[in-house]
Amino acid sequence: MGKTDKNLKRKVEEASNSKEIEEEKGSDSEEEDFLTTLNGDEDSSDSDREIEDSEDDNNELVEDEGEENNDSISGEDSEASDELEDEEEDESDEEDDSSGGEEEEEPLSEESEEETSEKEDESPKSINKLSESSKLDKNALSRSKTDEYADNDTSDEEDIRNTVGNIPKNWYDDYKHLGYDWDGKRIIKPEQGDQLDAFLKKMEDPDFWRTVKDPQTGQNVVLSDEDIQLIRRIRGQKIPDVNFEEYAPWIEWFTSKVEQMPIRKFPEHKRSFLPSKSEAQKVSKLVHALKMGWIKTREEQAKLRAKKEPQFYMLWQTDDQTEEMRRIHKHISAPKRLLPGHAESYNPPPEYLFDAKELKLWNKLKNAPWKRKLHFIPQKIDSLRKVPAYPRFIKERFLRCLDLYLCPRAIKMKLNIEPESLVPKLPSPRDLQPFPTVMSLEYKGHTDMVRCISTEKTGQYLLSGSDDGTVKIWEVNTARCLKTIKIEGVVRSVEWCPNQALSLVLVASDNDVYLINPHVGDTLISQKTDAVLSEVPKSDHIIPERIRTCVQWLEPTQELYERGVRLHLKHFKEVTQVTWHGKGDYFATVMPDGANRSVLISQVSRRRSQLPFAKAKGLIQCVLFHPTKPCLFVATQRHIRIYDLVKQNLIKKLMTNSKWISTMAIHPLGDNLLVGTYDRKMLWFDLDLSTKPYQTLRLHGTAVRGVAFHKRYPLFASGSDDRSLIISHGMVYNDLLQNPLIVPLKRLQDHDSFNDFGIFGVHFHPLQPWVFTSGADSTIKLYSN
Amino acid sequence: MQNTSEEQLQIRLITKQELFAVPDVPLSVPAIIDCKSLNDLVNQLLKESNSDFLKPKDFDFLVLGELLRVTLVEHLQEHNISSETTVDVEYLERTPAPEPEESILHDDWVSGLQTTDKWILTGCYDNSVNIWTTHGKNITSQKEHKSIVKAVTWIDQANPSKGFVSVSHDLTGIIWSWEPEKDKITPKIALRGHERGVDSVGVSPNSNRIATGGWDTNLKLWSASLDDDGGEPAQKRLKGSSSSSLSVRTPLNTLKGHKETISSINWLDNNVVCTASMDHTIKLWDAELCGLKSEIVGQKAYLSSSWSPLSNTLIASSADRHIRLYDPRSSEGSLCKTTFTSHSLWVSCVTWSKYDPHLFMSGGYDLAVKLWDTRSPKAPLYNLQGHQGQVLGVDWSNNKYLVSGGCDNSVHIFKNKHMQ
Repeated sequence: MGKTDKNLKRKVEEASNSKEIEEEKGSDSEEEDFLTTLNGDEDSSDSDREIEDSEDDNNELVEDEGEENNDSISGEDSEASDELEDEEEDESDEEDDSSGGEEEEEPLSEESEEETSEKEDESPKSINKLSESSKLDKNALSRSKTDEYADNDTSDEEDIRNTVGNIPKNWYDDYKHLGYDWDGKRIIKPEQGDQLDAFLKKMEDPDFWRTVKDPQTGQNVVLSDEDIQLIRRIRGQKIPDVNFEEYAPWIEWFTSKVEQMPIRKFPEHKRSFLPSKSEAQKVSKLVHALKMGWIKTREEQAKLRAKKEPQFYMLWQTDDQTEEMRRIHKHISAPKRLLPGHAESYNPPPEYLFDAKELKLWNKLKNAPWKRKLHFIPQKIDSLRKVPAYPRFIKERFLRCLDLYLCPRAIKMKLNIEPESLVPKLPSPRDLQPFPTVMSLEYKGHTDMVRCISTEKTGQYLLSGSDDGTVKIWEVNTARCLKTIKIEGVVRSVEWCPNQALSLVLVASDNDVYLINPHVGDTLISQKTDAVLSEVPKSDHIIPERIRTCVQWLEPTQELYERGVRLHLKHFKEVTQVTWHGKGDYFATVMPDGANRSVLISQVSRRRSQLPFAKAKGLIQCVLFHPTKPCLFVATQRHIRIYDLVKQNLIKKLMTNSKWISTMAIHPLGDNLLVGTYDRKMLWFDLDLSTKPYQTLRLHGTAVRGVAFHKRYPLFASGSDDRSLIISHGMVYNDLLQNPLIVPLKRLQDHDSFNDFGIFGVHFHPLQPWVFTSGADSTIKLYSN
Repeated sequence: MQNTSEEQLQIRLITKQELFAVPDVPLSVPAIIDCKSLNDLVNQLLKESNSDFLKPKDFDFLVLGELLRVTLVEHLQEHNISSETTVDVEYLERTPAPEPEESILHDDWVSGLQTTDKWILTGCYDNSVNIWTTHGKNITSQKEHKSIVKAVTWIDQANPSKGFVSVSHDLTGIIWSWEPEKDKITPKIALRGHERGVDSVGVSPNSNRIATGGWDTNLKLWSASLDDDGGEPAQKRLKGSSSSSLSVRTPLNTLKGHKETISSINWLDNNVVCTASMDHTIKLWDAELCGLKSEIVGQKAYLSSSWSPLSNTLIASSADRHIRLYDPRSSEGSLCKTTFTSHSLWVSCVTWSKYDPHLFMSGGYDLAVKLWDTRSPKAPLYNLQGHQGQVLGVDWSNNKYLVSGGCDNSVHIFKNKHMQ
C-alpha cells in the first residue's frame, strides 16, 4: 500500500482533471462559466490533492472522507436537524467555528470530489442547481478578486489564495477577514446570514446538499456532478477514475517460467558460497559474550527469573499466617501434626518394614502402646489400588480432637539472657592505679608465726607481734628491726595508738594486755607519754566486783618497765584481741571465753575498765570501734551487732549468713564494713543500705584471716590461709544513691604455708598505697605499687 | 631476615677524642655488626693510620645518642631510622670496669657514706660515725648520736678539715670537726629543731649552709660554720637536758610544704635546694627567699635523688625498680627524660659521678650496685657485685672510688680506672 497507491490515485485524479479540461473546452459558455468557477474553486480540490500528497496516511484519509461523505449524504436528515437553524442564515455558514483544521479539510475534499462526480453524472437537476450556484459563486468570487485564471494557468503553486497557511481557521474568528491574499489584501469573510437564513436556504436551495464551504475563502461551493461521482466511486471502493479499465488483459512483464540457463554468462562468485567473515566475527563476539556470561540466552534468562520467583503458590490462602479466630483472644493454634514419614507409606522401602524382632517388640508393648516407636505396623502393598481402608482413622481423629480439647495450650515464654550481660561491667584494673602490685620488702626476724601487725601513723614504723613471744618494731623503708620487746606468751594482737601525742602500743598476750612505750620517733612525745603514764590518777571510784574479778590494772614490774611496758592489765581469761578507739584513750579487749564478760572497754587516762554487756550474746570473735561515731561493732560467730555506746543500746544487727566470722574492718568513712569469715567469704556491708551483705566476695580458697581498708586510697585487701593476699578496689561514693564499686584487682601469693596457716594480718601503709602482710612463715611482707 | 644478614650499612666513624681519630671516610659494614666487631674495626683502622698505636683499646659506640648494645641494624630499627642513610657512629673509649678494691666491715648497717680524696666517712646504724682511709683502715669512730645515723656528708669536699655533718633518727644533726693530723673527730654543734627522725642532709656548694629534712616533713636550713653561736646553747642545753657538752644550733629557716618525709636533699646552686620526698614530689626551694620555686609530681614515693652540675640534670629513684632522669629547669615536654630500668627491687640510692656528665651509680634492695651511662638506658654499664644485703648508700664523690654500703654491714670500694 502507501506510496504506489497514492501515486496511482494521483494519476487517476490528474487524468480526470485533464479529461475535465477537455470536456470543458468543448462545453458551452455556461459550462465554461462553471469551469471557471470550478477552477476558481479548484484551489479547494487542488489543495485537497496537495494535502493528500503531503499527508502520509492519505489513503486512510480518502477512506475516511468516503465514509464521511457517505454520512453526510445518507445522514442528511440527521445533519439537517443540526443545521436547521444554520440553513436559515446562509449556506456558507456550514463551517463550525470550533472545528479544527482537519474538520475543515473534510468538507473541502468533499467539495472537490463532488465537483468531479458532478460533471459525469450530468443529471439535469444537478446541472440546474450547479449552474445557479456556480453563477452565484462566480459572482461572489469575481467580486472578491480578479480572475487569475484568465491565461489558463492551473499551476498548483498559485492555487493557494489565502497566504495565512495551514493554521486553525478559528484564529480569525474574531476578525472580519479570513486571511490575506497574495497582494497582502484582506480576504473578507463573506456575509453570513443568521440561522434562519441558513434554514431557509436549506429549504429552498435544491443544491444545498451539494454545497460545501471553502475554508480558504469562506465561500460556499456547489459540488459538480463529477465531484459527486468521484466521491461515490471512492466510497464504493472503486478506482476513482471512471475510465480505468479494471479487466484489462494481463501483460506479463516478467516471465513466470524458471529459466534453464543463467541470464548472465559468468558464474556466481566464490564469495557468495563462503560464510561471511564479518558475520563470523559478530557471531564469535556474541558467543564469547555468552560464555563470559555478559549476555544471557532467553532460556537462561527464563531460568534466572524462575529462580527469583517462587514457582508455587498457595492454593487457598497463605500458610504462614495464623488463622484468625474471631472471638478467641490470643488464640493459640493447634500444634501441627508431623508429616507422614516413609514408614507410613503404602509401599515403604524395605528397611522400614518390621523384621521379626521389631514385630515382637511391637507386640510386646501391647499394653503400653505409648512406648512403641510406631503406633502401627508398616505394611507393604503393591499398588495404591489395593490399599485397604484405614481402620483407625475415626479413632485417631477422635483422639486428636481429644488431645486438642483436653490439653491446655500455653504460650511458651522464652527468656534469652546472654551470660555476658549478667557479669557486671567493672573497670579495668589498669584504670584503678595505684594499688600494690609487687612484693618489695621482706621483714625477717621473727622466729614464729606473725599474728598481727600495725603501723605508726606517719608510716615510719611497723609493729608486729608474733608467736615467738616478741613484739618487733621495724623501720618500714629499710626493713630494719629497730626494737624487739620480749613478752612471755603468744602475742595475739598489737595496735599502735592512733593518738599521735602518745607514743604507745597495745599488746595482747595470753591473759595480759600491755601498754608499751616503744621509744621510737619523737623523743619528746615518748618522754611525755612516760610522764603521763607514771602518775596514777586519783579516784575514789569503787570498782565493782564484776569488773575487779575480770581485770586488774597493774603497775609493771621493774623488768617489764625496762622493756618499755608502762601499764599492765591482767585479765581473767585469754585475750585474743585489743583495739583502740579512734581518739586513742579507750581500747576494747576481747576475751572469747569470758561469757558475759568477754568484751571489756578500758580507758587509759583514768585506768578504769567497763563491761558494756550484761548478757552473753554468743562467742565473741572481734570488736571494732566506729572511726567517728561512738559505736561499737561486736562480731559473734554469725552476727555483727552495732551498739551505741552513749545511749547504750543496740542499733543494728547485721546478718552475715555465714558460719563463722573471723575478722572485720571498717571503712575510714564509717559506712561500710568488711567482714572476713572462716568459710572463705568476704562480706561487704553497706550500713546505710541494709543489714544484709551488699556484696559477698568469694575470692579466697580457704578461711579469710585478715581484712583491711586503706585510709586514703579506695583499696581494701584480704589475706587468707591459702597464702594469697587479694587487693581489691573498693570505692565508696559520697552520693548515697551510688553503691560502692568493688573490683578485685590483684592476687599476690608470696607467703609460705606453715601448719596450714597462710596470712594472718593485713595492714595498709597509712599514706602510701602499700600493704603489709604477716604470715605464718614468720615474715612480714611489704607490697608496693 | 635472610636479607638483613647480607645487608650492608654505610657508617662514618667519628670521635671527639683527638688521640683516636681515624680518617673520616664512609665505611660499608654488615648490618648485623655489633659492638665487638666495630671495636675490632676501629682498632684495625687505628693501627693502620697510627704506627705507634700498639695496644688495642676498648671503645664504646654511640649511635643516635645511645650506646650501641645490640647489633647496629636492630639499634637503628629501634629508633626508626632507615638503614639506607649513612650512620654516624661516634666512638669513645669505653669506661673500664671498676675493680673491687676493698671491703670495710662495720658493726651494723651502713646507711650513709661520703668520700674525699683520702678518707671515707660513713654513718652507721649502730649510732656511730666512722672515718676510714680509702684503703680500708679505720681512723676513728664515735657514737655521739642516740639513734641510727641516716646520712653523713662532708661540709667541704675539697677541704675535709672543715668538718662534716651527720643526721640521725634521734631528731638531731651534728656538725663534727675533723682534725686529719690527729685523726680525731669532735662533735661540735648539735642541730636541734626537727621533731622526728632526720633522714637527709645536704651542704650548699659554697659550704655555708646545711639543709636537712626528715620525717617531720620540714626542710630546715642551718648555718654550716663550725664556730660556736654564743650564749644561746647554754639555755638549750638546760632545756634539752642533754648530757653532752654540745652547743646547740637552731635552724635558720624552716620550709614547710612536703606532706611526707624528705628522703633526699640536693643543692642545685648556692640558693636552690632540691628535695625529693615520699609524698611523690620533688620540690625546688629558694633558700634565699625561703619559698617554693617549682615542683615535679611523680607517681611513686621518691627514695633518693642526685643532682649533677655537669649535666644540669637530676636523677631520682623511687619506691619501684626505675631510676628517672629529670631536667628540673625545663618546663615543657615530659618531665621525666629517661627511665633507667635494670634493678629488680627498689632503688634506694643514686649518685652522679662528680667528674663525668654521663655516668652515675645506683644501689638497690636487690643487692646490686650498678654503674650507668645516661646514653644507655636499657642496660647499665657494669654491675658491681659483692653486697650480701640491701644497698643503702652509694657514693662517687672521689672519682677514684665507687663506694657503696648496705645492710651487710660492709662498705665496698671499687676503684675506677677511667681517669680524665
